[in-house]
Order: sequence, then C-alpha cells, then structure tokens
Amino acid sequence: MNLVPLILYGGALVAYAAHFARRTPALGRAATTMLVAAALAHTFVIGMMTMETGNVPVNGATSAITTFVWLLALAYLYTEMTTDERAMGVFIMPLLVGLQAIPALRPIEDRAPVLQGPLFGVHVSSLLFAYASFALACVIGITYVLLFTEIKAKHLGFFYARLPSLQVLDRMNHRAIVIGWVFLTVGILAGAVWAAQARTGYGAGDPRVQAMSLLDPKIFVALVCWAVYSFELFAARRIGWGGRRSAYLSALGFGIVLLNFVPISYFLTRSHNF
Amino acid sequence: MALVLVGINHHTAPVDLRERVDFSAHGVPDALRALAARGSTRETVIVSTCNRAEIYAVCEDEPATRADLERFMSEFNEVAATELAPHLYSLVDLEAARHLFRVAGGLDSLVAGEPQILGQVKDAHNLAGEANTVGPVLNRVFHSSFAVGKRVRTETGLGAGAVSVGYAAVALARKIFGDLAGMSVVVVGAGEMGKLTALHMKSQGVQHVTIVSRTMAHAARTAEAIGGASAAPWDDMEAAIGASDIVITATGAAAPVLTKARVESIMRPRRNRPLFIIDIAMPRDVEPEAGEIEQVFLYNIDDLQATVRENLARRASEVTRAESIVGEEVEKFGAWLRARGAIPTVVALRQRFESIRRAELERLEFKLSALPPDARARVDEITHLIVEKLLLTPTEQLKSVSDADTVGAYSEALTRLFGLGDEEAETRGRKVEPFRRNKPR
Repeated sequence: MNLVPLILYGGALVAYAAHFARRTPALGRAATTMLVAAALAHTFVIGMMTMETGNVPVNGATSAITTFVWLLALAYLYTEMTTDERAMGVFIMPLLVGLQAIPALRPIEDRAPVLQGPLFGVHVSSLLFAYASFALACVIGITYVLLFTEIKAKHLGFFYARLPSLQVLDRMNHRAIVIGWVFLTVGILAGAVWAAQARTGYGAGDPRVQAMSLLDPKIFVALVCWAVYSFELFAARRIGWGGRRSAYLSALGFGIVLLNFVPISYFLTRSHNF
Repeated sequence: MALVLVGINHHTAPVDLRERVDFSAHGVPDALRALAARGSTRETVIVSTCNRAEIYAVCEDEPATRADLERFMSEFNEVAATELAPHLYSLVDLEAARHLFRVAGGLDSLVAGEPQILGQVKDAHNLAGEANTVGPVLNRVFHSSFAVGKRVRTETGLGAGAVSVGYAAVALARKIFGDLAGMSVVVVGAGEMGKLTALHMKSQGVQHVTIVSRTMAHAARTAEAIGGASAAPWDDMEAAIGASDIVITATGAAAPVLTKARVESIMRPRRNRPLFIIDIAMPRDVEPEAGEIEQVFLYNIDDLQATVRENLARRASEVTRAESIVGEEVEKFGAWLRARGAIPTVVALRQRFESIRRAELERLEFKLSALPPDARARVDEITHLIVEKLLLTPTEQLKSVSDADTVGAYSEALTRLFGLGDEEAETRGRKVEPFRRNKPR
C-alpha cells in the first residue's frame, strides 16, 4: 500500500528536478500538482492504516517512517505555499523517496500492547514533527551553503539564478530549527515521563520498557541531537552564529536524526524495537 | 489588404535624428488622429520610444500608403524628407509582423532582452485603442507580439542577469539581503562614481544613504545632491559602516582605506549580519583579503564587470531560442492573415443563403398566413436553423485553410457555384424549388 505514494513521490522528484533545471512555470506547477497528489494518496494510505490498527501508524520504526515522510511532505508543501519558493523541492524529494522506500518494502508492525496512554501519542507525534522540521532546516541549510559559496567565489551561476536570497534562507532555517527544537523537547520529556510510568505500570513485564535508560543508543542519540540543536539556538542568540555555521549545524543535526531514525531503530536499540 | 510598417530605430538613425523624430514628444494621440484624417490607412498604431519611432498601419493600397506614411513622418515631426529618407525602413505583411515580434521580445533592443520595451509596445497599442485607430488586424498582430514578449521572458534566459555594473551590484545585494527596503548604504568618498552608485541604490528602495569623505564639506554637498542622504566625518567611518548593510568605496586614495584588520574589527560587534562591500575605486580601496571574512561579500569593479560579461554571453546564447519563438508566432499570424482572405466569401455566402430563405418565406406568405403566430415563428426558426447547419461545415473549412492558394481556389469555386456577387443569380434563386432534405433527421 505504501508503494503508491512512493511512485508518486518519485514522479514529483523528477518533476522538481526538471523544474529546477529548466525553470519553466508549467513544470513548476506540474511538480507541485504531482506532490499534492502524492501527499493525498499518502494521506489515504495513512488513514487506511489508522483504521486497520485503530491508531495512527507510529507503532514501530517502519510505520513511524511512513508517517514521518507524510508529515515532511505536508510541511514542505506548507513552506512552498507560504514562501512561493519551489527551488527547495529538488532537495527534499530524494529524502521522501529514499525513506518511503522502506515502508513500501517492509511490512508494517502491529501495535505492541504496552504502547498506550496519551503521553505515548504526544511523544511520537512531537518527535516526528520535530524531525520533519529538522529535515527542512537541513535542506535549507544546504542550499544556503551552495548559494553562499557561489557568491563568495564570485561565480554567479546555477544556484544564484535559482535560489532565494541568503537572508531569506537564513531566516527560514532559524525558524525551522526553533519549531523543531520545541517539539523535540516536548517529545523527549513526554517519552521520559511515559517510560517512568510504564516501568512500574503496564510495561512492568516488558524487557524493552525496562531497557529504557540514557545508555540505550536510541535515547542517547536523541539526547545528542537535542544538545546539537540547543547549541545551535544558543550560538545564534549569544555568540551571533548564523549563516553558514547554522547551516552546517542543521545538516549535522539532521544527519544524527537520520542515523537514529533508520539504522539505530532497526539494528541497535534494545528499548525502541516495537 | 496589407500590413505596413515605416520607421526609424537605433540601428538606422543617429541619436540626434531620433530625438527629433519623437512622436511621444508631440503627442502620440495627436499623431494618430492626424494620420487617420489623411485617409490612407484603415488601422494605425505608433510605437515611439527613445530608441525607435515606428508606424504600423493596415491599408488597401500598400505602395501609396508607404509613401504617405513616410511623408507623414517628416511633416509631423518637421524633419526634411530628404534628411529622413536614408534612415527609414519599411516592411510589409509578415516581415512587418516579424519586426514587431522581435521588438516586443526585446530582440531589437540595444541590449537584447531589455524588459521595458514590452510595456512600451503595450502602451502604444493602448493609446491607439483609445484613439480608435486599432482594428482586427493590428489587434491581432499586437496581441501576438505581447505573447512573444511573454514567451521570450518565461521560456528563454534572454532577459535574465544584470547587464550593467549598477544593476549587477543591485542584483547581488538582493541575493544577499532579499529586500533592499530598510537597508542602509555607506558611500566612502564623495566623488562622481560613488554618488551615481548611491543614487542607483536609492532608486532601488534603499532606505538610508550616508556619505563619508575626508572633507566634511564635500560629503555634505554630495549628500545634498543625492537628496535625503546624510554626511558623516571621516573619523566616524567605522561606526557608520558598522551600522550599515552595504558599503560602496570610491575614494582616490593610493593605499587601501579598509584593510582586512579594519573590516574585522567592524564585523566583530555585527556578529552574523552580512556586509556587502562594493569597491569601485581604482586603485582598490579595500584589501582583497577582507573578502575572506565570514559574512563579508567583497566585490570590486572588475568582479562586477565579469558578471556582466557572463550575463551578456548567456543572453547571446539565448537569442536563437527567442528567434525561433518569433518564427513560430509569425507563422501563426500568417495563417490567421491568410484565413482572413476567406472572410468576404464567407460573408457573401451567408448573405446569399439568407436572401434565398427570406425570398422563399415571402413566396409562401399566402400559405403561412393561415398558420397561428407561434407556428409561423417555428417555421422561421426551423428554416433559419437549416441554413445555419448547411453553412456550418463550409464556413469552418474556409476559415481553417491557411494557404493562400487553397483559400483562392475555394473562394473562386464558391463564387461560381453560388453566383456570389451576381445580382441576376439572386433573382433566379426565387424560382428555385425549396431545398429538400434527403434524409429525415
């Protein structure tokens, strides 16, 4: 079922790339239409999965990935519509296609009985939203560096003609980081409180709940992530870091997020393999 | 019917002559009215900019109108015909259309892809519209030219990239800061170059301009000349730059005024705020190494000229794409023009059919008068529909052929077969039996 959105995201990737290269308005409209179609199909898929399992598909790594891709597509579409800027699409689409390939090829997990309570919902949805924001920030940061390098090198070419101004990119990046950081903090706190409750309550007999500690790779890396983004915000406010440094930190942060999201979830964690 | 163009432009005439042949100075509406009063044209539009003065006209007698337009150009602008004649060009039909399309697409401009000309062509068409001198042909050809202008802008890179140093600097500033409104500029040096660049920045929406000069009196005078600018003493330069976003240096100093160390100390309290330095002085006012500082974007006059050269080269490579758009639109217009040749035949054919219908209804009046009024209305309606149906396919066929020979052959055949334009046939038509349908519908 996750294959249909994957194909549509693939089509959107091609259209965004063509638009980026040729810059004709018709191709741009086609790309957005394609992505809207993909997001609608994905909404339908998520809705079906929700009806099947009785809750939004966030019960394991694979289902969380498809929900994350869906959120990221929506967040990107929102950004595109509010800024009227399509240049970023070509950088976001590969991420959507790459991640969506996982749920398209792997089965969706059933809900583990221990995953319950309102805090669990807050934990997962906040984190997915934070990760989508960080993905946008990362892409915006990359484009910032590309444009910055061109202007500094005094070679005004490909990206100069296609990207919005440095100032706009810097501001968009900062906003995405602030939003992501707030949700990341809320998500981690909700997770911690939930784990503390579950340890003695309904998760008392579950080894995974018992493994939830600061030393578990998934939890540890999430905290590293939080530290990176906290530092980025602190540096922007206190040391006056921004521009290229912020962009690099955004890319680093999202690299860690991806690490946590895919390989650690599947292979390393003992606490989060539901 | 012919489309005629007579004009001069920057390719054919020197600037002093173009200045005298300037319809906009004398008033384009007056010129349009004066031209219409001469009676040699059916439709006219005058395109008058600083680089060209052109009259587009639709007429019956092409050579006579051409001569008359040339006379009008010299008479209206009070320039001797002998002086004007060697600089005039005149084109007919598709070549005139091609010329207009190239003008609207910016291909005929001094700098290819210049964006203002399309607006000027639109204005010319509007003025003629207000003066009621535009008809179907010029409407069509001008709207096609707007389409060319739009397609060239969206489908080619002909208009992309700044092609003067001033615009290149402004475009760069936009790529760094986004919006120039609210930005402030410091000009170091009170010379002419600095002043011009500052004026340019101001016209692009920059909020505040400060002039810094070794001589405070010079700075104050330049600031006054720019209008709305302020002056600052030489010693306050660092503070002034510290509070600004864009710096233009244009002093006559022999050694760099802004060393890397000095720029570094200016940048420290600014933290992450970008500073765009444009060094247009010769020799340089800013140490090139200052450009290595994070968030300092240093461009000197050579760098800006290099980007302008790149843009010009890129535009030149887009010319062929733009020309092919012009070619496509000329072809479309040509097809439309040829199809128009069929219009008199279509009109005559319709008139003939309608007159037959009326004649037959008149002939049958004694029978029809017995019918109730609504039944009579039905008869009228039905006969009208039959005529329309009969004419539908021939009309469409005639309008869709686009080569002159076929149009001529069709017109000829129809004229003969239906005796169009023949009074006798019309009276004979009264005796023809009413048209009978073979198949009931």
